[in-house]
Order: sequence, then structure tokens, then C-alpha cells
Amino acid sequence: MRFAMLQNQPLTGGIVAKNLRISDNGNGELSLYGDFTITLKVLDLTTNGAPNLNSLMTFTQQVISNKLRGGGYKSGVSIHKYNENQKAFNKNKIWSYSIRYNFNFMVNVIQINMLSQLKGNDFVLAVVDTIGHQFTDQYGQIQGSAGLTQGAGWPAAVSYNSWLRNKYFGAHEFFHTLDLNDIEDGNKKNRLMYHLSDNSGHVISDAEKGDMMQYIVGNINDMAKKEYSNINLNTVSRVRIFLNKSIYAIKYNKAKFR
Amino acid sequence: MVLKTIKLSLGSLLVLSFYACKNSPKKINSITQIKSIDTCRYYRYDAGQIVSNLSCKFCHLSPNLQIKDDRGWPTFRGLAAIDSLELINYVFTKKHKGWFSKVGPYKAAKMDTLSNCEIKSVIRYIKDFGRDIPMSSQ
Repeated sequence: MRFAMLQNQPLTGGIVAKNLRISDNGNGELSLYGDFTITLKVLDLTTNGAPNLNSLMTFTQQVISNKLRGGGYKSGVSIHKYNENQKAFNKNKIWSYSIRYNFNFMVNVIQINMLSQLKGNDFVLAVVDTIGHQFTDQYGQIQGSAGLTQGAGWPAAVSYNSWLRNKYFGAHEFFHTLDLNDIEDGNKKNRLMYHLSDNSGHVISDAEKGDMMQYIVGNINDMAKKEYSNINLNTVSRVRIFLNKSIYAIKYNKAKFR
Repeated sequence: MVLKTIKLSLGSLLVLSFYACKNSPKKINSITQIKSIDTCRYYRYDAGQIVSNLSCKFCHLSPNLQIKDDRGWPTFRGLAAIDSLELINYVFTKKHKGWFSKVGPYKAAKMDTLSNCEIKSVIRYIKDFGRDIPMSSQ
């Protein structure tokens, strides 16, 4: 089985898959099965140290686990037609599927102390002193930033004092890494991805879960190939670029960035 | 002679004034028209929902740093590198015609039957992806 070669090797970012399997019910629904280990590495770059970092990391690990639990579902997906017998996608036919993600997740949030502990494809959350970046929301108000990332697969940063103020910021930033967007719609204040100060809840919608699952198995067509190549996120290089962008005005202890 | 010239000048002035008054409503009309055009507002989240419902990222992978994947398909970053007008023409009218899903939230629509505002929003969302616009939590 071609999936055999994918077991235990990193997929996109800090994601490792086991027991990957696709099943076609013949009625337009593909079921994807797999056990995933997701690792987020937390790099403490604060000047004065982060005494409560462990409890924030434990909390973040729990939130990510809870939100990913149960997999997800996405309908109306147009992809290549799956051939159940050949365990491969037919590149000449486009088919419309509903996809059921029956995934189990093990989530690790671990602390690292130096860049050498980061590998090419890891997910990373840098804990910094302050983030000076400001943005204008859809109502025309200028807002500050407690956390920052550039989206799918990118490293993220969170200021330690802000993370203490709102324990969900770490998970919020990480879900950007899994390709979710910010929400500013006043009717959705109860959502975890609502990023204005009057946020009132931590809900992840079914559609958002479906999007994260899709990101996690983004290379689904590749998965059924004989030769599978991982996406190279080049995290070490990108964290350097990201933290030092002058417009983000991120302050951190440069002596720790080694 | 002088009186004749003055009469002639006044006559010309009268004719010019008449045309000047006659033309002015046209200017007001054109200003009104411009005001009524711009009703399309861009919301990143809503544009992201359209992209999600269209399942664009299922084929055009978003984590890739390269502009093409190893199948030779444009990645999402690759789409962002394409000129906007070319994107509208290529993505919404030619390449995907007839390829779109028959179920799900956009089941009645092919990509080329999205409203102009939706198409504009999706194009901006794709182009912004290549600009690495930051996402903040507050």
C-alpha cells in the first residue's frame, strides 16, 4: 500500500501521520483516517523570563487538542477521482466529494531554548517582550497586536504579558498557522478567531475545523503517489525574517536568539 | 462701430452663458454615477470563506513557498504571483469552467457566475496571500 511509506515521517510543518487510510463509500463521500502527532515548539525570547510559561503552554496544548478532537467534515470538494482498487487518484477526472476526516490527534507543545532545536518543517511560537505592530479593523479603528503571524505555515509570535492577560492567544495564533483567518464580524464575537478586544468566546466552527483538516492533509493527492515529497517550510529562515521585520516592531532578547 | 462691437460681445457672452448653464447638469450626473458604483467592500474573512467553499486550497496548496508544486500546478502563492486581470480571465472564465462542485454552499454557481464583488474579493484575497499581510490577535 502506497500510504505505507508516509507513516512516521513529517508532513507539512510539525505534523507526523500514522495509519493513513482513505475509504470511498461509492456515493460521493471519502473518509480519511489517520493518527496525527502535531508539535508546536515554543521559543522563549523574553528579556526578563516567563515564569508562567509552562502553565500557558499546558493550557494551549489542551485548547488545541480539544478543538481538533473529532476530526471534521467538508462538503463540495472538487478533487481528482479516487480509485479505491488502485489506492490512487485518477489525474484525468475531477470529482465532487464530501470528505469526512476521522482523525485522531496527539498534540505536543514543548519549550525550546535555542534555534538549533528547530528543524526545517517545525511549527514555532516565539514568546517576545512586545509587538508594536498596529492594524486598522473593518470599522476603521486602530488596534494593537498581542500576537502576530503571517498565516499558513508561518512562525507566530505572542507577547508574554498579553498571553498572561488572555490565555487563548497562543492557540489563536497557532490556528492561523493551520490556515484559519481572523474574524471581525460583530455577530461572531464568541469565536476563538474573533480578534478584536470585545471577544466573548472561544468557539471553533465546523467549517473552520474542516479547513484545518484540509490544511493538515493538504498534500492528499501527493499522499497516494509512489514518490512523496514534503513541503519545505524552512522555518528557521522564516522565523528570522518574521521577527526582524521592522514594521512589526517586535522586541525580544536578541541574546537568546542563537 | 464701437456700439456694434459691444452688442456683438454681449451676444456672444449670452450664448456662452447659455451653453455653460446647459452643460452643468451633465457634470452632476457623472459625479452621481461614480458615487453609486463603489458598493463592494472587502472583508478578508468573507473572502476566505468563498475560497474555503470553493476548496481552492485543496489543489493550490497554501503552505508551499514555491510557486509551483511538484505536479507543476500553481500553489496558492503561485496564484498570488499571477497578474490580477490574468487571474480573472484564467481562473474564473477558462480553466475552471465546468469543474466546480455540484454540492455544498456554492452548488448553484460555477466560479464564473460569482458576483463581480465576490470575484474582486477573491482576487484580492489571493493577491494579499503573496504580500504576507500579518494577522494579529488583540
